[in-house]
Amino acid sequence: MLLTRSAWLRIVCSTAICCTAAQSPSQSLQAQFSDPAKSDRLPLKQEAVQYLYPEQITAPAGKSTAVVLHFRVAPGLHVNSHSPKDESLIPTALSIPAESGVKLDAATYPQGTDFTLPADPESKLSVYTGDFAIQARITAAPGDHLVEAKLRYQACDQQQCMPPKTATVAIDIIGK
Amino acid sequence: MKRNTIVLGITLFVLAGFAWAGWANFEYRRQAADKVMAATMPPELVIGGDDGPPSPLLNKPAPSFTLQDLNGKKVSLADYKGKAVLINFWATWCGPCKLETPWLVELRQQYASKGFEILGISSEADNLTDDDKDGWAKDKAAISKFAQQQHMQYPVLINGDSIAKDYGGLDAMPSSFYVDRNGIIVATQTGIVSKDEIEGKIQKSLAKTTAQAGK
Repeated sequence: MLLTRSAWLRIVCSTAICCTAAQSPSQSLQAQFSDPAKSDRLPLKQEAVQYLYPEQITAPAGKSTAVVLHFRVAPGLHVNSHSPKDESLIPTALSIPAESGVKLDAATYPQGTDFTLPADPESKLSVYTGDFAIQARITAAPGDHLVEAKLRYQACDQQQCMPPKTATVAIDIIGK
Repeated sequence: MKRNTIVLGITLFVLAGFAWAGWANFEYRRQAADKVMAATMPPELVIGGDDGPPSPLLNKPAPSFTLQDLNGKKVSLADYKGKAVLINFWATWCGPCKLETPWLVELRQQYASKGFEILGISSEADNLTDDDKDGWAKDKAAISKFAQQQHMQYPVLINGDSIAKDYGGLDAMPSSFYVDRNGIIVATQTGIVSKDEIEGKIQKSLAKTTAQAGK
């Protein structure tokens, strides 16, 4: 059976995630700080949030329609929820650019789970880890729209934080 | 019979044409989506500071820079020639940065008399343009609030993103570079470490300088 390029990409990504997951227990069991012998090492690059599905949505044109968008946070990382407990933290947020043929009417975000950094047991963060889903309502104009939705997030692991990112989420939305 | 065969053949040909058109349309959309994903979601973030290669800046001269502090005053690394300097990149959205800053404040007080200084460089990574006055004002307010809450009595500089490339990209916060009196980076640090380890690296920058000065 022939596999499309997208399917191969998924297999490769899944394999990479599994490999990382296999390493995570030792990472989570390490001391509350980076290994002193290794803290002068550069961080390895990895995508923090992966869009899972759906790739294609068919919605009644001109009518507000519910869709659920699924994402996955890489093992060992967390991102702030949509309602972080500190105003200085950057919330995870979905948007759809204007003039894309599809309007984001509303987005309902999952509640974050409490997370405590080992180095700061007194502070609780509200984060997403693993898989999470955003329930959105969209209104599509008639026709096919390759929408480049945006997911703004900021990820950390237990010792460090990565710069905030605005990732593009490509969804084929057909208004019929 | 012959006519039926021709009609059947034409029908099959038309159906095959429809099938091909549908498949081609599906592939076109899929490839377009793949192109967008490839162009906009490159491997971008980082995990775990423990397994990457050593910083290429180690044992090299610290890249020079001139940045503004919160009052608009220009501050250069060269202004601290002859001192051991900890260049500490941080951000207001960085939880681990909040944890280590009180330690930096204490260590700066402890080692200042020996010729040690810290430059706290905020790197918000929000890609502000030079003419975005509102954006910069908001950034400055958040940085100023952080600095006051953390009692940062050492120079706090802004727009560290403008020198990120020189310092290896700053893919994670906090990122620290320990510079000896000769301007050489003698230790680096990515992510939060213990206060003892920070102090050890400060001592290393001072001790190495002493050894070199004694030669």
